[in-house]
Amino acid sequence: MTDLLFLPLLNKLKILYLLPWPFHRSTLKIPKPETPVATVLDINGLSKRYGSIQALDALTLQVEEGSIYGLLGPNGSGKTTTLGMVLDVIRPSSGSFSWFGTSVSKTSKQRIGALLETPNFYPYLTAKRNLQLAAQIKGADPASINSVLDLVGLGTRSNTAFKGFSLGMKQRLAIGAAMLNDPEVLVLDEPTNGLDPQGIAEVRDLILRIASQGKTIVLASHLLDEVEKVCTHMAVLQSGKLKASGSVGDILSANEQLLISAPEQQPVLDLLERLPYVVQFRPDKEGIVLTLSEGYNSQDINRDMFAQGIVLSQLIVRRKSLEAQFMEIIKN
Amino acid sequence: MNLLRLELYKILPYRTFWVILGIFMLLVFLIFYSVHDITINNTQLGAANYQFPDIWLKLTYISSFFNTLLGILVIVLVSDEYTFRTFRQQIMDGLSRVELVLAKFYVTLGLAAVCTLFLLLIGLFFGLRHSTDTSAGAIMQHLDALFYYFLQAVGFMSLAMLFGFVIKKSGLAIIAFISYVLVLEPIIRSQIPDHIDKFFPTKVLSSLTPLPVQQLLDQATSPTELLTPAWATLPALGYIGLFLLVSYLLLRFRDL
Repeated sequence: MTDLLFLPLLNKLKILYLLPWPFHRSTLKIPKPETPVATVLDINGLSKRYGSIQALDALTLQVEEGSIYGLLGPNGSGKTTTLGMVLDVIRPSSGSFSWFGTSVSKTSKQRIGALLETPNFYPYLTAKRNLQLAAQIKGADPASINSVLDLVGLGTRSNTAFKGFSLGMKQRLAIGAAMLNDPEVLVLDEPTNGLDPQGIAEVRDLILRIASQGKTIVLASHLLDEVEKVCTHMAVLQSGKLKASGSVGDILSANEQLLISAPEQQPVLDLLERLPYVVQFRPDKEGIVLTLSEGYNSQDINRDMFAQGIVLSQLIVRRKSLEAQFMEIIKN
Repeated sequence: MNLLRLELYKILPYRTFWVILGIFMLLVFLIFYSVHDITINNTQLGAANYQFPDIWLKLTYISSFFNTLLGILVIVLVSDEYTFRTFRQQIMDGLSRVELVLAKFYVTLGLAAVCTLFLLLIGLFFGLRHSTDTSAGAIMQHLDALFYYFLQAVGFMSLAMLFGFVIKKSGLAIIAFISYVLVLEPIIRSQIPDHIDKFFPTKVLSSLTPLPVQQLLDQATSPTELLTPAWATLPALGYIGLFLLVSYLLLRFRDL
């Protein structure tokens, strides 16, 4: 019997032994064997002013090797200005940036493939000749031209003049040109702009395929859904200011929404009124949409409803619409 | 040289380029051909115009009127790069701003060389057919006029290139270039004493291929102060350098 009495105490001692004061569980972090991740692009306080307009205001961010970094923001938020500056075609008003830890140079440029704003080619030259020109400038192997044309699905149109191309084909050719040198980094400014749904799907697929080869991709887009589908990291810009940055999961997973419905709505509404962790709720045509404060989830709602004798006929967890989240981010 | 190859790659399939160059050559040929019909006081001047060695002076003087056309061609080539945003792409792909300017300068050198060669050919064609003296000595005597013509063409095209870099849009740049060369600078020069205005850019370039009968005119009227071709060479080279430098500085300090 005495043994049994001792057991809890022993247990406690064991726990204490395992977790001696002052250590708390959360402080007991086992250092993960991290491989040092190289920073591909380091932007430091970069600003651009056009007359009275501050196009970009002290942007600081790092793009790590192997990530797909999304630059998200409405039109005119400074995405293209940012990319233009790091690609050496727009002069920064202040601030600095570095590629691969060095300042921009011919060597650094040859490790980057870039598409900025529009596909830039000579309209009267054929697709192939345009790529031959680009390959010469980049010092790329001319043999890679045909494979790049095939990769972007223009193999059969290589002898068509650029001006005869549809917008989608022009865009694809530009992506092809960016990939000529088998670059370590791809910088793509609105790569799916002007493409039809099939083209958009193809380009996204292409981007993911390129990324899976361990390449780093910097992608500017005003399409939230594109960034969410493609990117691992993102920065949100608005009016030249950085509103948020981090991994896509961290930024987009905040504040889930629940959709619930019950045979009778009124008791549900009455209860929701009294639950402290319900931030807001509103009746919707499909049911009641509610947002919970952090740390609570659908289980809590379900339990409390049931405890009050309400049986839910529907309980759906849904992410807040991307648009809604985006609006929330840029509102602050 | 790699840069020149790159430029040829773009230019050779470009129809606009051939059209403008073709018009230049056709006009020079037609004008020079037409002078054999000129009759003054019932004496045909034809054969007199094709005599070695003065044919070189006349040919280069006449051709200098069409330098504006070459200037327009260069403006088109430069402003195209802005319109197609290919300057931008080439900088992103690895060319430097110096290389962008040099590439266009090589094009002007190449164009000037082609045009000079063309003048050499028409000079020989008309001269050998009509000149009474076709000895090597007579042919070679004023051949240096071709060198001065080459320098002049490069000078005008460099000035045009600068207009292209400044204005970026072909139509506006062409209008600005022509009005500067034909109207603006002459007006400014008219307000300035001769001993200074002979150093103005288009005046320096023009004095490389003087009017062949200038000495005669000077005797008849009050002499105009003009640099001799040999003396104009150095300032012309200086201006070419200046135009290139300003073009580079524009690229350096402006967004593309």
